[in-house]
Amino acid sequence: MNMEDRLKEKINNIIDELKIIVGYTKSNIPLRVNPIFIENKDEIKNLIFNNLCINNLATYAYTLSQEIDGKIGIILKSCDTKSIVQLISEELINRDKIKLIVVSCSGVIDYKKVKNSLSGAEIISAKIDTENINIKTIDKSFNLKIKDFYSDKCYWCDIYENPPIFDEFIESDVKLSVEKKLKYEDINEFEKLSLKEIFSFWQEEFSHCIRCYACRNICPLEVCKDRCITQLEEPHWQTQKITANEAKFFQLIRVFHLAGRCVECGECQRACPINIPLLKLMKKVNKEIERLFDYKPGLKIESKPPLLTFKKIEENIKEDKIV
Amino acid sequence: MSISEKIENKKDKNIKYITKDTISTGNSDVKIVAFLCNWCSYVGADTAGTERLRQPENVRIIRVPCSGRVNPLFILKAFDLGANGVLVSGCHPNDCHYSEGNFYARRRLEVLKEFLPFIGIDKRRFTYQWVSAAEAQKWQNLVINFVKRIKEINSK
Repeated sequence: MNMEDRLKEKINNIIDELKIIVGYTKSNIPLRVNPIFIENKDEIKNLIFNNLCINNLATYAYTLSQEIDGKIGIILKSCDTKSIVQLISEELINRDKIKLIVVSCSGVIDYKKVKNSLSGAEIISAKIDTENINIKTIDKSFNLKIKDFYSDKCYWCDIYENPPIFDEFIESDVKLSVEKKLKYEDINEFEKLSLKEIFSFWQEEFSHCIRCYACRNICPLEVCKDRCITQLEEPHWQTQKITANEAKFFQLIRVFHLAGRCVECGECQRACPINIPLLKLMKKVNKEIERLFDYKPGLKIESKPPLLTFKKIEENIKEDKIV
Repeated sequence: MSISEKIENKKDKNIKYITKDTISTGNSDVKIVAFLCNWCSYVGADTAGTERLRQPENVRIIRVPCSGRVNPLFILKAFDLGANGVLVSGCHPNDCHYSEGNFYARRRLEVLKEFLPFIGIDKRRFTYQWVSAAEAQKWQNLVINFVKRIKEINSK
């Protein structure tokens, strides 16, 4: 029995105790999957799980637990459980209210990378098995290897076989085998640029921003969407203008509201319609927090976010001496 | 009280004080915004004035209840509106009027300071310091040196 069947069987066994189950299903768009909300047994056959399931379904955990009485089941990849750990440790969701069906992941495909490799040709259909992606464009067909198109986060993932939290665990048929990369490699590289270059890089990137707020809406940890300070009249933090400065300031609000909380699932960057490298900002602030407070978000339920606590003597903080 | 009501009550009223008017300093070329805590640094700066210690006129002071009140976004907003430098000052660690506000502030502001170069702002443009109510002389030195530092960065 392959993994998808085992997943369906497991869901079949536990669906009676759950009000709703969130999972993945086929999408009409090639190389994409859709979320599905299952309430009764005959919908289970629509479930799928494969290397295209890049979406982080933990995004639904907070809203569903607010709206629905009763237990919620969520199908998650190992890396997505970090978001749930963070939500529970901040007491935003109740551990007893959710059932985590965790799937040991064998890497996910970044469809933006696939699209880029085809140099802009429109994909008509795509088929995927355990190793290959077969793609048909209007005039050609391609046979690509999955291992070339893993999402960036797979390269530093170290929890794909041992998630920090789960109720049901389903092992995958194929093991993830990638050449590990250092997590902050790209950040270190970027920091070597001069201040002027960095400033103009972000100015250029954010001048394309249309302020659709997709990055905010998809984030599993931004639970204050309906009263976001960027849309408040009083105090008036931001205008509705679409300029590079306003867009940048909006991202900085996100960065500081997620400092020490962001689990780097990469959903903001994936949802961005114009491909602004938003994860860079998040990774930088997490890198500093790891260095200063020796803390990694999303691994332990008991640990407190570093900015909500303090030590009387901070060993790693070097204060600026002016006087 | 529900979470949403709690958030409603915590609305940031102070942000309206950070406007282009607060930040403009007449003809002076260097603009510095200082957030001072009500109990130590603000009194320290006041004492410096009473003692007639000469200070550069580039600094615009915004009084906050505690250095723990300073949201990192205040500083970013000040930079966004054209400040050349931002200074936050509060009670010395262990001397906070609210006993631990400045410990939280220290963590937050340190993260902000290390983050600034990543968006292209020199991290020396921002500093946080501890000045007590009695340290008028320290406040004077702090302002003089900070203005000097910002002028140096600007002239590069």
